[in-house]
Amino acid sequence: MNRPAPRRRTAPLTAAALAAVLLLAAGCGDRPTTHHKPGTGHEQGTGSGGTLLAARDDSGHRLRDLPAADAPTVRAEARPDTEGGWNVHLAVERFRFTPESTGGGALAGRGHARLLVDGRETARAYGPWFHVPPGARTLTVRLYADDHTAWSVAGAPVETTVPLASASSAPSTPASASPSAPPSPSSAPARTPDPTPTGRTLDIRVTGSTVTPAPSRVELKKGERITLRVTSDRPDTVHVHGYDREATLTPGTPAALTLTADRTGLFEVETHESGLVLTQLVVR
Amino acid sequence: MTAGPPPPLPLAHGVGAQHDLPLSPFYAYAGAFTALLVSFLGLALLWSSSRFRGDRAGIPLPAGLQRLTDARATRTALRLLGAALALFFLAHLLLGPDDPDRNPAPGALYVLLWVGLVPASLLLGPVWRLLNPLRALLSVRQPRAPRPIHSAVGIRPAAAGLLLFAWLELVAPDNTSRAVLLTALAVHLAVQLLGAARHGADWFAHADPFEVYSSLLARLSPLGRRADGKLVLRSPFDGLDSTPETPGLVATVCVLLGTTAYDGLSDNPRWITTLQTSSLGPTATATLGLLAAVALAAACYGLCAGTLRLLNRDLATPLTSFAHSLLPIALGYLTAHYFSLLAVEGPRTVMMAGGTDNAPSPAPPLGPAGLAVLQVAAIVTGHVLGVVAAHDRSVRLFPPARAVAGQLPLFALMIAYTLGGIGLLIA
Repeated sequence: MNRPAPRRRTAPLTAAALAAVLLLAAGCGDRPTTHHKPGTGHEQGTGSGGTLLAARDDSGHRLRDLPAADAPTVRAEARPDTEGGWNVHLAVERFRFTPESTGGGALAGRGHARLLVDGRETARAYGPWFHVPPGARTLTVRLYADDHTAWSVAGAPVETTVPLASASSAPSTPASASPSAPPSPSSAPARTPDPTPTGRTLDIRVTGSTVTPAPSRVELKKGERITLRVTSDRPDTVHVHGYDREATLTPGTPAALTLTADRTGLFEVETHESGLVLTQLVVR
Repeated sequence: MTAGPPPPLPLAHGVGAQHDLPLSPFYAYAGAFTALLVSFLGLALLWSSSRFRGDRAGIPLPAGLQRLTDARATRTALRLLGAALALFFLAHLLLGPDDPDRNPAPGALYVLLWVGLVPASLLLGPVWRLLNPLRALLSVRQPRAPRPIHSAVGIRPAAAGLLLFAWLELVAPDNTSRAVLLTALAVHLAVQLLGAARHGADWFAHADPFEVYSSLLARLSPLGRRADGKLVLRSPFDGLDSTPETPGLVATVCVLLGTTAYDGLSDNPRWITTLQTSSLGPTATATLGLLAAVALAAACYGLCAGTLRLLNRDLATPLTSFAHSLLPIALGYLTAHYFSLLAVEGPRTVMMAGGTDNAPSPAPPLGPAGLAVLQVAAIVTGHVLGVVAAHDRSVRLFPPARAVAGQLPLFALMIAYTLGGIGLLIA
């Protein structure tokens, strides 16, 4: 690679400027860390609420049993987000999110929720609203006490599971006090989700460097929904500029990408690897 | 959650993810109609003897302001500012992430410099001449015996440089990657510094594409220098009239018109299909398209100049005599095509330079209708300014009896450029 050699005459000045920039860059790069106040670590406490059982949930936390009448309940509702993923709302009863006392002793009706995406724990929720990025197929929400024990009724954790794969779904599965098996990947829906599209569907096929139908403009009204079903003959990624939506293309399998056209402008739909423009979305 | 962050996006077409909406026919027809109407009204009603006085016109600025702007300290400060900005750019380019979404360097070049120079030069005059970091670099070690530049060279090297830059911006693959930008920068520096080592700082006024671009646009600025060297406030028409008829002026203007037109064409789905299915490959086809757009703009102008020559045998230089009147048209094209890029990507680039990682794009300042009005207004205003400038030059050069007839080829040319420009905004 050619470096611009003629800059050498100002070497000391350049060096000073580079050093300054480096210093600045180093100062900004640190990732935030979580600090625990003394006495609020992650070790399981021995609070007073409920009965601590010897049984553990699938992530190794002991269960804390409550009578059904006192136990919290949780329902989750997921709506597809216009930029991908889902917006999830938790409706809880007899339960309050208490992020400020996490790590403390267990008190009935207080604590946090843990989110398990496709059976794997990924995050905690300290409030009723959160976002799940695209790619998830099922979401399980389980309620925990401040001391990281799982609230349970008759030995079954208080939890709810929402399937996320289908775009049309906004199902709310009421939490049952009955035990529910943790979702296993085999029970998840098929690999290529087949969303029931709302709005128009545009089928595009990519063969080599040929796009069928040939790139054209799709006129959309602001707020309209469109589903792009793209079939490629090679592995690739399809990307909608401006909306920054992406879908992975597996050879021969149509990949669907649904979006709400909520910004006006002309946006190109492109493949990354082959760098082809598939179509243009004209949103007025 | 389970998947990692998406990989950085290789943008195939410079900076910016959103393009302007195609113009709706209503605005296009309204603009075309206004342009035609104004042209013929101008032909019939405008003055019959030349009014513009070029570099003899203008109201001098107060003496204190003159002294301040011409002070050595001001000039040095501007030089240092330009050099500091260039070093900042270079540091980001060399050390920042190789991703246009996280590195402000590509945006600084394609948006802040290239597009930002338009409003800056229009308001303040030839700013890049004052900020040009190459001049700062040269002032560190002046060449001992600079040789004068041959008069036939003119600003032709800058026209070539502008064409190369447009190719980099509109055609070159991966044009926001570090490797490509560094290569382009190395070529630019080599050409400029070798030329300057031979010819001194004067070389930049002839060969630095950004300096020539800024100086030409500054002809339409209300701030300018009179022939006696005084800084004056003047009508943009006088500034335009004083555009030096250097060799290469026509080429430069045609490059500006042609490349901006190609930018409009490159959004057209049919052209995209042509690019993607061409057996030459997309880059070669796009290069040919860019050259064809410039050639078309130049051919139209050549045809017009030939007709002018037929109408008036005494016209020694029909090509350069009217080239200045195309500058406002080029400015109209530039404004129409790049306004939203500057308004959206400009602030984003500044935010990134200020340390915001992956800054969000601010909302466009104008809605679709507002933007359409602005685009059409820019093209029509450029057209009107061009018509007036050409008219004045025409009544000066032609005998009164033939002045009206003498303008007809130019009018036809300008209407063609303007309708073409509006047509490309619909496409």
